[in-house]
This record gives sequence, structure tokens and C-alpha cells, in this order.
Amino acid sequence: MADASWTSSAKSLKGVILDLCGVLYDSGEDGGTPIPGSVEAVKRLKASDLKLRFCTNETQASRDRFVAKLQRMGFDISVCEVFSPAPAAVAVLQDRGLRPHLLVYDGLLPEFDSVDKTNPNCVVIGDAAEQFSYQNLNDAFRVLIGLEKPVLFSLGKGRYYKETDGLNLDVGPYMKALEYACDVEAEVIGKPSAAFFHSVLHDMGLEPHEVLMIGDDLVNDVGGAQRCGMKGLQVRTGKYRPSDEKHPSVTADGTVDDLAQAVDLMLEERGGASLTSCWGRAGGETGDSLTQ
Amino acid sequence: MSGRRVLKAVLVDLSGTLHIEDSAVAGAQEALSRLRQAAVAVRFVTNTTKECKRSLLERLRRLNFDLQEEEIFTSLSAARRLVEQKQLRPLLLVEDSALEDFAGIDTSNPNAVVVGLAPEHFNYQTLNEAFRLLLEGAPLVAVHKARYYQRGDGLALGPGPFVTALEFASGCSATVVGKPQETFFTEVLSELDCSPGEAVMIGDDARDDVGGAQRAGMLGVLVRTGKYRAGDESKISPPPYLTCSSFPDAVDRLLENYKHAT
Repeated sequence: MADASWTSSAKSLKGVILDLCGVLYDSGEDGGTPIPGSVEAVKRLKASDLKLRFCTNETQASRDRFVAKLQRMGFDISVCEVFSPAPAAVAVLQDRGLRPHLLVYDGLLPEFDSVDKTNPNCVVIGDAAEQFSYQNLNDAFRVLIGLEKPVLFSLGKGRYYKETDGLNLDVGPYMKALEYACDVEAEVIGKPSAAFFHSVLHDMGLEPHEVLMIGDDLVNDVGGAQRCGMKGLQVRTGKYRPSDEKHPSVTADGTVDDLAQAVDLMLEERGGASLTSCWGRAGGETGDSLTQ
Repeated sequence: MSGRRVLKAVLVDLSGTLHIEDSAVAGAQEALSRLRQAAVAVRFVTNTTKECKRSLLERLRRLNFDLQEEEIFTSLSAARRLVEQKQLRPLLLVEDSALEDFAGIDTSNPNAVVVGLAPEHFNYQTLNEAFRLLLEGAPLVAVHKARYYQRGDGLALGPGPFVTALEFASGCSATVVGKPQETFFTEVLSELDCSPGEAVMIGDDARDDVGGAQRAGMLGVLVRTGKYRAGDESKISPPPYLTCSSFPDAVDRLLENYKHAT
């Protein structure tokens, strides 16, 4: 039922934002493998009249290296199309004159090369994976508790993600640990923060109701996009769990098997559709007569 | 000080109140003796979950404190009681030194997670393992939820942040058994046949010692040693009954202010 509602609004779409991990590929020790059909799906989106951006909370590698990895998997993607939390965090730090203590994966450190990290007056936490040792968490804690007013930034707040060996904790639980320890509330940079989605929309030059977000994370991708006024579509790949379709507070505008199916349905619905109608506008307009 | 009340029992925190690691708080041994001479029952209530009771007792005796093993109540023993009652097979995130208190408990093929203070287990691998059990529906038991504790080299994260992390990741709520749970305090007092209104708790943790005891109906005394940080007394409401510079100061002021039961 929900699927019908999102495909019917596909005609008025002007842009699509794709999550990466769990939508384009599954991560794993070997660097990851593309989800079947996703390489072609991205190609077809690019060939369409839709604007396309990629929006990820990936914080284990710098954007350059991360995009290079996707290119090696066969994806048609470039750095300027990808929005990730670290560059957004660097902008915030510079804007507010803050010097971070970094609790992030080593691979992400190059993103912060330009930032002054001496005598830190805030903490930035990302998905540090196996570098989330007690010692490293304690170091970050001591920086925070030593500040008169602790400032904590979290690069996303996901609960967990899927690796080839099973589900693993994401940055969110560790952000919660530091919040609890220091009695602070973290400022989240990345999905689902509205500021992050708006920066992508701004770059696309589109309004929220003109854009569809496709992701595997119901709360952070779908829910976050919906709170900004976008439609949110969930794929049954990546971290998707069947219980997501009965979630108490977030209901996706549609659920599809994978990205390939989403793109099939969307492009089929659009056909040669004009771009005159909008999201949410009732039927009965003359829009149909404008199709070729 | 308003109205004199009868004082029948004093509960005392250990780490940060009587001692910090292997050093006694100055004058604490003599203060404990003065308290014992005043004909009040003294019990020691601790969330120190790194150590089993026996090694805790040995450490305190080395520091010349006069106390008996049966006077010590730990959150580890409370956790063990819960595991036994519910016949759980726990994945134990407790330090090796505390495992003695769980001797005889079946931990094969775990169907529960017990979190104590275990820096060497608070790593990515083990927390992932615990998380996956919780997603399958295993209950989460927290020996306590303290935010941090005082270590020789500074403040260090307690179990609370890690319990909170697992709760957030799995969407479940932990059962907390140590301080500041009311039942922890009232179980100690019931053995003494003493009502909460006749008892005082002395500790360095505003929330877990003082706040917890006051919610259980006792009076709480905060000492400015151990993990105490300036302004802690204003972090709880109602505020501590008294805030004192140290355990000896607390004992002196209590003895001045109270009429003792005979």
C-alpha cells in the first residue's frame, strides 16, 4: 500500500539522495561488495533528469579514499557528489573556533589535517570501530570532564550496522556513553540532523518536497529525511530488519527490496513525465495531459 | 540543625570515602573507631565491582581499617542473587578479580549480560558480543550505573556509560542492582532491623550514595574526597543533609548532631 503512494509521487521528483552503505554495497573486511543491481541502478539514475547526491554517515575513511573504493566497485560517483559528516564537522569547528580532541578511526584523520588540535576544547566522536577501546574512550571523557562546559560532536548517531560477520555497534552507543558520563547532549553532525540534509538540498538547489531519500536505516535515513520535509524510502538490504516495518514512530513512505527495484519503479512511473506537478498536490490537474 | 533524631545505623561507602586505591583517607581509621564506640551499627555498601569481597576486605585491613566481611554489601553480590533467582547464564563483563563472587554460576551458552566495572572487557569486540545477545532478547543486568570513578591517575569511566551504550543500541533497559537503587539500601537496613529514618549514608558520590539513600528515606552525607567535584552538592534535589570535607569530619558532625540509640 505504502509503495503505491510513493511511486505515484515519483513524477514530481526532481532529485534523489542515496545512502551508501547498505544501499549501494555491503561493507566487509575485504572493503565490501556491491549489492546486486546497484551499479546499474546508479547509472540509470544518472542518465535520468533527476539530480543525484550521496549522503553517508561513513566515518571510517576520508571521503577521497572512500569514493575511490566505490569507483573500484564500479560505481559512477565523484567526490563532489558525496556528503559525509567529517567535512561538515570541519566547517562547524572552524566556524566556532573550536579545537577538537578526535575519537575517530585512523582512516578519517586526514579530513582534519587543516584543523588546530592543540589544547582541545571539544571532542569529536566518529565510528572508531575497534579503536573504541576503554583507553581511547577514557581519554575523550577526560577532555570533556575537564572543560567548564563540555562540547561533544558526534558524526552521526546510528545504533549499529551490518558487517559480513554480523551486526556491530555504530557510533551512537558510544556517543550515548560519553553523554551519560559527562551529563552533556552531543551535537549530531550527519544524518539525521536537519542541518546536514539541508546542506545537501542547498547544493542540489531543490526544495525538500522535490527530493526522495533512499536508505537502509529507518530512523536516521528515512525518519531524518521525513522530518526535513522529504519523502523517505527504505530498502530491504543492509541493516534492514523486518521489525522496521512495524516501527512505533517512523513509517517509511515506501519499502522496496533493493535500490534496483526502487529505481525501476521510479523511472517506470515517471516515463516521460513532465516536472510540473509537486509532491502532495491532489490529482485532477491537467498534469497528465502534459505527458508525451 | 533541626530536630534531634535517633541514629541507629550508618552506611559507609568505601572507595573514595574511606580510601582511594591503596591509600586511606587521612584519619579515616580513627573516625571509624569513634563511630563504632558510639553504639551505632556500621555497614559498608560499595559499588566497587572490580574486586571480590575477600580482596576488598584484605585491602582495607592492610590499611588498618577495623571491619568484618559480613559487614560489607557489594553490588556484585546483589547481581549474583538476581542471576540465581532468575536462573540466568550470564556473559560476565566483570574483571577477573571479581569472578570469585560468581563462582559456581553457569556461564556456558549465555542468555543474559551482566555488566560490572571491567575496563579490559569494555572493548569493541566484547561489547558487540553483548549487543548481539541483547538483540536476541537476553536481559541486561547492571551491577551499577556510576558515570565515573576516581583512579590513581585521574577520573575513569565507570560501568554506567557502557550500560547506557548497550541500552541505546539494543532498545532494552538494564536492571540495576547496586547503588543508587532503593532496594540495595533497604536490604542492608532490613538485616539491621532499622528503618531508613534512623539511618545515615556517607559517601563521595552525590547521586549514587547521597541521592539514592535519600530517595530510600535515609539522610545522606556527601564528603569532598574521592570523585567529589566542586558543585556536586547542587546536582541533586533535595541537596545532601550535610556536605563535609572528609569522612572524619562527617563522623564528628554526625556525632555532635545526633542523639544515639542506646
